[in-house]
Amino acid sequence: MSNTEPGVTIDGRVDVEYHWSAGIAGSRFFTELRDNGKIMGTKCPECKRVLVPPRIFCEECFVDTDEWVEVSTSGEILTFAESYFGLQGQRLEEPWYIGIIKLDGADGGLFHRIVKGDSEIEIGGRVEAVLADNREGHIMDIVNFKTV
Amino acid sequence: MSKKQRVGVASVGMMPFNRVLEDTAEEMAYKVAKDALDKAGLRRDDIDAWVVGSAVDAFSGVNESDKFLVAGSGGNGKPWFRNATSGSTAVSTPDLAYSMVASGQVDVVMCICYEKMSDNENSQKVFNYVYDPAWVRPVGLNVPLQCGIEARAYLHRYGIEEEEMAMLSVQSLGNALDNPYAQRGKEITVEDVLESPYISWPVKVLDTSPVSDGARAAIFISEDKLKEIDDDPVYVKGIGRGADSYWFMGRRNNDLGRLDYAYLGADQAYEMAGIKNPSTEVHVAEVYDPFTYKAMQHMEAAGLCPEGGAGKHIREGHGARDGKLPITPSGGLLGEGNPIGAGMSRMTWTWLQVKGQAGDCQVERDVDTAISTGWGGMYQYNATMVIGRD
Repeated sequence: MSNTEPGVTIDGRVDVEYHWSAGIAGSRFFTELRDNGKIMGTKCPECKRVLVPPRIFCEECFVDTDEWVEVSTSGEILTFAESYFGLQGQRLEEPWYIGIIKLDGADGGLFHRIVKGDSEIEIGGRVEAVLADNREGHIMDIVNFKTV
Repeated sequence: MSKKQRVGVASVGMMPFNRVLEDTAEEMAYKVAKDALDKAGLRRDDIDAWVVGSAVDAFSGVNESDKFLVAGSGGNGKPWFRNATSGSTAVSTPDLAYSMVASGQVDVVMCICYEKMSDNENSQKVFNYVYDPAWVRPVGLNVPLQCGIEARAYLHRYGIEEEEMAMLSVQSLGNALDNPYAQRGKEITVEDVLESPYISWPVKVLDTSPVSDGARAAIFISEDKLKEIDDDPVYVKGIGRGADSYWFMGRRNNDLGRLDYAYLGADQAYEMAGIKNPSTEVHVAEVYDPFTYKAMQHMEAAGLCPEGGAGKHIREGHGARDGKLPITPSGGLLGEGNPIGAGMSRMTWTWLQVKGQAGDCQVERDVDTAISTGWGGMYQYNATMVIGRD
């Protein structure tokens, strides 16, 4: 039999800082977003899909995607979820929302925060990106997507 | 020997799951390996090679935690491998054990899956480190929200109802009452589930499985060797694996509600097994069910009911132990506990069902063919295994 108590424990913590590379495609995406406020994708020369987030290759056709195209900052909610807990686990009065936004002109989109604007947050609902004034080359240079 | 050979299962090794166990991973591996050897009447020397799986190293806070397991699994001095494909490790590891024997390179493989989740302070916090640091983590994602976006897409696509999810939870926690290895057997009502707090719509606390420590083992063996020790041999009939892109926000099908990769895994396994109509040819299923809606998606992907028909299957009682196609009669991850990789329990219970050794969890109908599935990796991996007697 096993005891359902931990018994003697040796306590410690793991504490390491990281510097994650955004990658070849990611660096270009975040640079364009920071400097020009544009959302860019890469286009597959074979299946013609416009990949957002951009990749340097199409994972279906398995070829290079060296053509960069600008896609719209507005799009459609594919799915979303709400949470009454903040990222630190604290209980919130009002929920916050995240979801997947399929951007116009792209075959995919971004995972991002969604806020209620002129219409309800719903699958198929339309949203527009809200860009930060001071951008740092980071996914949060897009503050959120607001319903229109 | 180096020619392809048929593969069976000689025995399975079990131990109780629980929220916290005193056992180290090594001690858990020893218990289930020893149990499997004893039940098959085999000794450590009879095993040719080992394949061991766990899903998330970070739970243990020790990198390459597989190294703990060599001695405890009995693998000293022998070929030894580790496999990891997130939660689908639970069945992809048995799939690999099958392949090792089928190749003819070895005759007897010990397969063990384990997870020790209680070594860390906060398993939810550890889970947060599975998400992409550039594109996802700064936006904010955790297990509740991960479930929320997937389950909402699934319910939206197929019209599944929250009440049907609740019925599955009632069935699984009830089934676990008869499972001696289960940590959460419980008699609950549909109302209890519906009234439990939302973690993120439509998923509620009682739609989720409990974190857990535990391990499972199974011995995969060549047909010739199996016939020497078992006069009712059970064979691996089919294996399948499907995978999809890391970029869940930009996949080809643009719909988290349909698990294309899980359909692929099941299709491969059925083709190999010669199964044309799984809803009649499969007699019992242990599907990977960390959340109620996941069980339902996997039932559909495995063709146990029509696509979008999992709610009806449960509602009409077909998934109960006395139903026409019972679903996770052991109680599943929901009732038995969910030590991620050790969800291999799904595969071990299918063997117990075919052998008629499932005790109070044994289903009413005759069982010759059973399937188990695994799933994991932020909607990326499926693994399927079909076992049965000739």
